[in-house]
Amino acid sequence: MNIMKSGLLAALVATAGIASSQALAEDMPIGGNVRIVIGSKSTGGDTYQNTSIVAKALAEKLDINVKVDAVGASAAFKAIDRLSDGNTIMVFHDQSYLGFLYGRKGYSNPFADYTVGPTVAINPGNAYLVPKSSPYQTIEDIIQACADGKRIRVAIQPGGVSEIGFSALKNAIKIRYPGKEANLVAVNTGSQADKNQLLFDGQADLINGSVQANEQYTRLPADDQKAMRFVWLTARKQTIEQANPEGMGETSREDLLKYVSPNASVTQDGSKDFTFDKEFFFLYNKDMSPEIVAFYDKALGEIFAEGKIQETQKKSFFIPNFKPSSEAQAYLKDKMDQYKVIIESIR
Amino acid sequence: MEFLSALTPLFFGLVGFGVVVGIIFGAIPGMTATMAVAVCLPMTYGLDLTNGLALLLGLYVGGISGGLVPAILLNIPGTPSSITTTFDGYPMTQKGEGERALKTGIASSLFGGLLSALVLFLFAPTLADFAIKFSYIEKFLIILFALTVIASLSKRLLLGIFSGVLGVWLSLIGAYDVSVGGNGEYRLMFGFMEPYLESGFSLLPVLIGLFGLATIFQEAEAGIREEVAGDLKLEAGKPFSFAVFRGQIVNLFRSSAIGTFVGMLPGVGGSAASVLSYTQQKNFSKDPSKLGKGAPEGVIASESANNGLTGGALIPLLSLGIPGDSTTAVLIGAFTLQGIQLGPLFIGENLATWDTMMVALVFANLVMFAVMFFAIRHIVKVITIPKYLLYPGIIMMCVVGAYAINYGIMFDVWTLLLFGILGYLGQKVGLEIAPLIIGFILGQQAEVYFVKSLESFGTLSIFFTKSPIAMFLWVLIGISVAYSIFGLIKARQRDRDHGPDQ
Repeated sequence: MNIMKSGLLAALVATAGIASSQALAEDMPIGGNVRIVIGSKSTGGDTYQNTSIVAKALAEKLDINVKVDAVGASAAFKAIDRLSDGNTIMVFHDQSYLGFLYGRKGYSNPFADYTVGPTVAINPGNAYLVPKSSPYQTIEDIIQACADGKRIRVAIQPGGVSEIGFSALKNAIKIRYPGKEANLVAVNTGSQADKNQLLFDGQADLINGSVQANEQYTRLPADDQKAMRFVWLTARKQTIEQANPEGMGETSREDLLKYVSPNASVTQDGSKDFTFDKEFFFLYNKDMSPEIVAFYDKALGEIFAEGKIQETQKKSFFIPNFKPSSEAQAYLKDKMDQYKVIIESIR
Repeated sequence: MEFLSALTPLFFGLVGFGVVVGIIFGAIPGMTATMAVAVCLPMTYGLDLTNGLALLLGLYVGGISGGLVPAILLNIPGTPSSITTTFDGYPMTQKGEGERALKTGIASSLFGGLLSALVLFLFAPTLADFAIKFSYIEKFLIILFALTVIASLSKRLLLGIFSGVLGVWLSLIGAYDVSVGGNGEYRLMFGFMEPYLESGFSLLPVLIGLFGLATIFQEAEAGIREEVAGDLKLEAGKPFSFAVFRGQIVNLFRSSAIGTFVGMLPGVGGSAASVLSYTQQKNFSKDPSKLGKGAPEGVIASESANNGLTGGALIPLLSLGIPGDSTTAVLIGAFTLQGIQLGPLFIGENLATWDTMMVALVFANLVMFAVMFFAIRHIVKVITIPKYLLYPGIIMMCVVGAYAINYGIMFDVWTLLLFGILGYLGQKVGLEIAPLIIGFILGQQAEVYFVKSLESFGTLSIFFTKSPIAMFLWVLIGISVAYSIFGLIKARQRDRDHGPDQ
């Protein structure tokens, strides 16, 4: 009897799901298929990976084709500048406003020039690493070294997500040891390969990396030239706590928690710690109809309510983080305002 | 032997399918191996990692190999790494040896591909450790070494060097990209150009414009006759036989090794491999004057190097988690989409995947050889199509390819046209296209590595003193330049003694 009941329930849920999909598909304020342009040119990176997960779910939900195109920030912004029909939309992360705050060409204020849509996920992996043979064991050691007048070279890609942790670290040194922040210097470089190479060459003392890309390097024996050690993850503690317990590779969630605030403390303003979660969200043409904005909110809301996408995201080391457009706008705007203070304080 | 269970008919079928699709992509001017892998990447969602990789590796090998077809038959490099194939491949076609050139190229590709797969299988982690000894400085010197080919490719040295420098200059137009560590500022353009040129000119449209479109413009000017293929005959010249490789064993090994070596250096780029091996063949050839005029040894050098690249570029990908070239940068997506991270411990922790990848790579090379070698008789007939039908078709494919390369940027089509006109007019005033394109391809990397070396070390002398590898590279650069000058003096002397036609 129980089996029959649960079978009936499952059938009802499935029917409701199909009915809801059909309703959404029938009420679609957009005509035809959807093209999602992303702010990265890489199909091997986290933006493509995360967007692909969302695109697949959207395609199934709306029964349409959804194509992800890795066109890069500049071309993606141009595409959504031009098209307000809701068939071409963009997914990117905090780089969209950090690029503007750092004054990078091709970036404008996304809150003024575009419609910021829902957030969908966090990549909690933004990390800072030292060689395993480094005398610096923790991020506090790095801060103290700068305070003691030692020059610390940090390999970053300038003008965005890779630089924000560096800016925060510099800001923290300035707050705690005014004048000593000059000892923390950026070594501007490009890809993760370049940053790693600078560490191997002894041309950097600290590099920006990620849990995903660098975790295996942290498991190499200390005498290997390539061996590294995490000293800081910028993610919030509660973000890492949501990751699967097995963490990434052989580094468990418990291990990762050793490198986040408050264990690895980088002050933001003297009272609270700086944290940075790399969050993925939608961006639309400024004049896109509110009806379409609401349509995507509703579709994604239902996808996340079903709970399946979260499992896929977590399997790929993303933390699900759905916030509908209005909530996401307020949240991200606040985030931008906080980082603006940091960036301006060290200019 | 866990991996044997993954070797299903589906696995081999996907490799074969990938190879065939890859060859088609590679053979269409403007479409590349990278594009083939990128387009098919979403198809791997529904497959497991092993089968997904089987498809993508097939596409990779097929895409790299297919580039030789238009390079040899039409003088249009199907992919950037087949530029040097045009230097001797097309002259061979003009002599009626198109089929011979294609078969020579395909056999060389097979050799390069298999040798690099062997190197990958036996030495991947060791070579990855060696690759990280190459810092900005050594990478700059490798690019400089590749640039020395300009001297030996030039018909007139000064004009050749001027064309090369012009190519470098053109490559620097656009933003000094932040993604390579630059400051993001725009250079070498006026304000109104910024919306179009912020990323500079795209390589593929430039390449097809200079080679393909410019040639078509020249033919159009001369007047295209209605009869079939003008003076091109299918089998007027020597037929293919494996005897073409007699005396070329060193060339085959050297070029495949150069391809594998350049492939394993992240950021140096695939085109540098065939350029470098072509330079070396020219330097070491018994009769360098033959190269560029339809010598099979040129095709052998170029094609074995660019397929040698495939195994080479997988070395840092699988041993460090770092892609060796643009195609493997897309390939990495197949791993991340399956939630698998690449890195220095990947091979040890995923032996079954590693073994199946090796099987896929070797099988892909064999399928490539089988498909192309036996289909060549039909493929080669493309040159029998009347030019008034063939050329519009090529232009259409070039336009589609240029438009598609960056997912639909119309400016890339204008770039194609612009460089077609530049190539057409340039040749009238003596501009040398091959040095120009080599300068264009290598210019950006040369700049980045040069600037980054100076930023890191702060002194010019470091280029000479950084490491024994740097010193060794200087010796190679010196020898290469000396050979070119020596060759030039010898040619002049010969001209004086026997007249320029001898």
